[in-house]
Order: sequence, then structure tokens, then C-alpha cells
Amino acid sequence: MSVYKHDYRAYTGKVTPLWARVLVLARYGWMDAWSSKITVGLFTFSLLPLIVFMIGIYLANNPIARALIMKGGQEGLAINARYFMIVLQFQSWAALALTSWVAPRLITFDLADDALPILLSHPISRFGYVFGKFIALFASLSLVTWVPCLLLFAYQGYSSTQPWAAGNLRIAAGLVVGAVIWITFLSILGLALSSWVKWRVLATGIIFAAVFVPSGVGGIVSAILHTKWGSLLNLPVMMSLLWQRLLGAPDFFWTEATLPTSAIVAMLVLACAIFAAMLNARIRAREVVRG
Amino acid sequence: MLEKAAMVRSYLVRQPWGLWWMQGWRLTRIEVRRNLFSWKASWIYFLAFIPTFIIFIHLVVETHPSIAMADDTNILAGIVQFYYLRLGVFFGCLGIFSRLIRGEMIERSLHYYLLSPVRREVLLLAKFAAGSFSALLLFGSAIIADFALMYAGYGAAGRDFIFNGPGLGQLQAYLSIVILACLGYGAVFLLLSMIFRNPTPAAMLVLGWEAINPVLPSLLQKISVASYLRHLMPVNVPGEGIFALLTVQTEPVSGWAAALGLLLLIGAVLSYSCYRIRTLEIRYTTE
Repeated sequence: MSVYKHDYRAYTGKVTPLWARVLVLARYGWMDAWSSKITVGLFTFSLLPLIVFMIGIYLANNPIARALIMKGGQEGLAINARYFMIVLQFQSWAALALTSWVAPRLITFDLADDALPILLSHPISRFGYVFGKFIALFASLSLVTWVPCLLLFAYQGYSSTQPWAAGNLRIAAGLVVGAVIWITFLSILGLALSSWVKWRVLATGIIFAAVFVPSGVGGIVSAILHTKWGSLLNLPVMMSLLWQRLLGAPDFFWTEATLPTSAIVAMLVLACAIFAAMLNARIRAREVVRG
Repeated sequence: MLEKAAMVRSYLVRQPWGLWWMQGWRLTRIEVRRNLFSWKASWIYFLAFIPTFIIFIHLVVETHPSIAMADDTNILAGIVQFYYLRLGVFFGCLGIFSRLIRGEMIERSLHYYLLSPVRREVLLLAKFAAGSFSALLLFGSAIIADFALMYAGYGAAGRDFIFNGPGLGQLQAYLSIVILACLGYGAVFLLLSMIFRNPTPAAMLVLGWEAINPVLPSLLQKISVASYLRHLMPVNVPGEGIFALLTVQTEPVSGWAAALGLLLLIGAVLSYSCYRIRTLEIRYTTE
């Protein structure tokens, strides 16, 4: 049988819109992240503090339960900005643990198996690839940060005998903005560091080290050079100050470590720019063969 | 009883100690080269020497009146207690010792060692020795450099503090602490890297345990590397804020008892690691 007229013909069917292609990567990234039992375990573990906080809200709003359990005492059970800031802090550090596990799963395998040239040969840009992974990670982290925090806020609004939610909308806005800033930062940090480390084992550790080691270095700078600016390397302190201002909570323990909000934001933007440059350098359709 | 002891002695004498020593020595040399002289190891240099760099800036930029020496002594103690023990040595040892076994599995090269006629215990102990040597060399020299730079700016008063005062004793204590920390964390991370495919989550639990250790009851404080090392600190820097309020003060333990306790812990962990490596299996497809 003769073979003829097998020239190239462009695909004429329906094409996936450009913006929706990113969502394909995000969907696969999401499935890959949640296929691990450890991800599910970490997620479950990160929800445990919420049960305690929910009981706290229940006790604060239920005089009978309070009378039975706490003999009517109310100390330490005021549901206010400070209470929700503690909730946000707990959930945010749980998000760090989840990032250290999920981010390397999203990106390290593609790099270690030299799959990036194949992926990027599809009609998707490098930015689209990173953005798809970012969406998967951001959505996963949302489930442990601002979503449960808002649910707790709604529960407090529902449980309170006084009109509470309308008068404390700043807390809800602070919870969402504070959590979104944090998980955006974590997502970019996680993806950037994972793209530079081929081993998933090492990537998990380096994500933790990237948060805690600069904190120690910042502490040394502050102590030795007698300056408050060393705290700009201390991510836990910086984020706590930012959350405190967003929620309108009173000062925490480190009153001497106050930093202007503009400096904190500038530092976070600078760090994100560095991580974006790291991603730009690493996410390329190339294969390095050493021999 | 004497007969049994004689049997054990004759059994031990019959073992090829010379061969094991030579094999261990060569393995250690290979690993030390990989740990210290590769581009991948540069981040450990950063972890070890970043405080040295900051102290150097302090030496160059600031004046050093004699009255500030007590403050600098406290700051140096804080650097050792809070930076080196909790972060620098911890993450450095995590990187060095996790790579020794698990790293070779990921690189798919461990089977070359396992197929060679070397006892697995010799392999494990040689790798531990190499990791310990690398960590001790880096963090030990960093501590010495930190100490020298911290007091160099004080001139005669600084020399007097070191050679005629408590300075040398403090340096000796800091070095002992770093040595024990490297050995302790190293043994723990080597074992974790054999048990888990990804030892980092377990290591983070260890980090969390070490961080909350001072607020735990005294009995639980004993199951920790940092708790033994705290007793060896020549200058104790208390925690700040709510952490200081929650800290449980334990009975003071003498230096030799704390060191002996930690050495026993290291011995136990290494013995279990030797037992584990006898049955270690590699499935590269799952790595």
C-alpha cells in the first residue's frame, strides 16, 4: 500500500485557552502533593491546634461551660485580636512544615529526572510552569492557614452573644492578608530552594534552614553590632510584627525589636525577588550531561 | 567466668584489626575529601563561619573599651548556646551525616561499598569518623576564630583575660561542647538517615524537641543532646520572654557526668546503627 499525503497538518480542534494551561499543571501538582500519606498526616496534624482554639471560643462564649470547667474565671479567654494572632502563628508554622514536604515533591522530581525539557516542549511558558506549581502549593497552604482561621472567626461571630463579627472585621481582613503574605512567601521560597537542590531529602532540610538560620544570624548581628536591623533577617520576628499590626493586636514579647512596616515589606519583596531570580536561573529547558 | 573471659579475649585477638583499621582509614580519607573539598559542601562553611565574619566586622568597626568585655563574653556564650548548638551544628550535622548513607543511596553508589569485602560495621564507623572529623574541623576552627576575634580588639586586657583569667577555660569548654554536639547530633542523624528515606522530618522533630526541652520536666530533659551540653556551658545565658518563665531548672550536673552521659548516648546510638546496617537493603527504584 502506497503511503502519501502524510504531510504535516496543524491541529484544527479546540485549543485549551492560554490561561487554562497553567491550571493543568496546577491540577497535576495538587494531585502529586496530596498523593503522599505524609502530606495528609501533616495536614491532619496542623488542624489539631484548631480544635483547641475552637474549644477556647466555645468556653469563652458559653457561661455554663465556663462555670463548670473554669469556675467562672475568664482570664486568658478573651477572644480578641491577640487570640487570633496566636491562631495565625500556630497555623503559619504548620504551613512551613507542609511547605518543606510539598514544595520539593512538586519540582525536584522534574529536575532530577530531567523532565523539564519535555514539559517545556509543550505549549507552556517557563512562567506558566512555575505559576502552575505555585498555585498547587498556594492552594495546599491555604487549607491550613487563612481558610481555617476564617472559619474560626465565623464560629466566634456565630457563638458570641453580642454582635461581634461586624465590629471586628479588621481581624478577619488581617487574618487573610497576613496569611496570604506568608504563604506567598513560603511558596516562592519553597519552589526556589527545591529547584536548586536535586535531592528531595536535602531540599526539605534547606527550607527549614533558610527560615531559621538567618534568624540566628540576625540575632548575632543585633547583639554584636548593637542594632535593631539584624531583626530584618529574623523571619519569625518580622512576620510576627507584621501580623500584629495587620490584626491590631497589642505588643508581644519583643518590644525592643520593633521595625518599621515599610522595612519589613521591603525585605520580604527583596527576598521574593531573589527567589524569583533563582527560579529564573534554574527553570530552563536544558539537560546537563557530565561525563 | 575466667574461662569465658579468656575465650572472649582470644576471640577478639583473632580478629583482623589491622585490616579493619586500614580499610576504615582509607574510607575515612575518601569521605573527608568529599565532605570538605566539594562545591556542594560550601554551605557548611557558611553555617560555621558566618558568626566569625560578623565578629570580624565588630572588631574592625567598633571600639573596645575594657568595660564592654563582660558584655562580649555573654554575647559569645549566647552565640555558642543559641546559634551553634541549635542551628549551626544542628543543620551542619544534618547535612553532613544524612549524606553519608542516604546520599549514597540517592546517588546509587552505596552498593559499590556493600559489594566490596569490607565489614558493614567498619564502613559505618569509618563514615561516622569522616563526618565527625569534617564537622569538628569546621565548627572547632570557627569557635577558635570567634573567640580570638572577640577578644583581639581589647589588646592587653583581652590577652590578660585569656591567659591569666578564665578565657582559656571558657574556650576549652566551648570546644568540648562543640565536639560533643557534633558527635551527638552526628550519631543521631546517621541513624535517622538509615531508618527513614527522608530523615529531615524526623530531624525537625528532634529540633523541636531540643527547643522545648528546657520547659519539660527534668526526667524528659535527659533524653536530649542539648540538655547535657547546657551543663557544660561556662557562661549560662538564660532564655528571654515567655520561654524564660516556663524554663524548668534542673539540678546542676558536673561536667564529667554530663559528658559521660552524652558519650553513653552516642555509644548506644552507634551500636544500634551497627546493628541496623547489618540488615540494610537498598531498593534504588524507591529512592
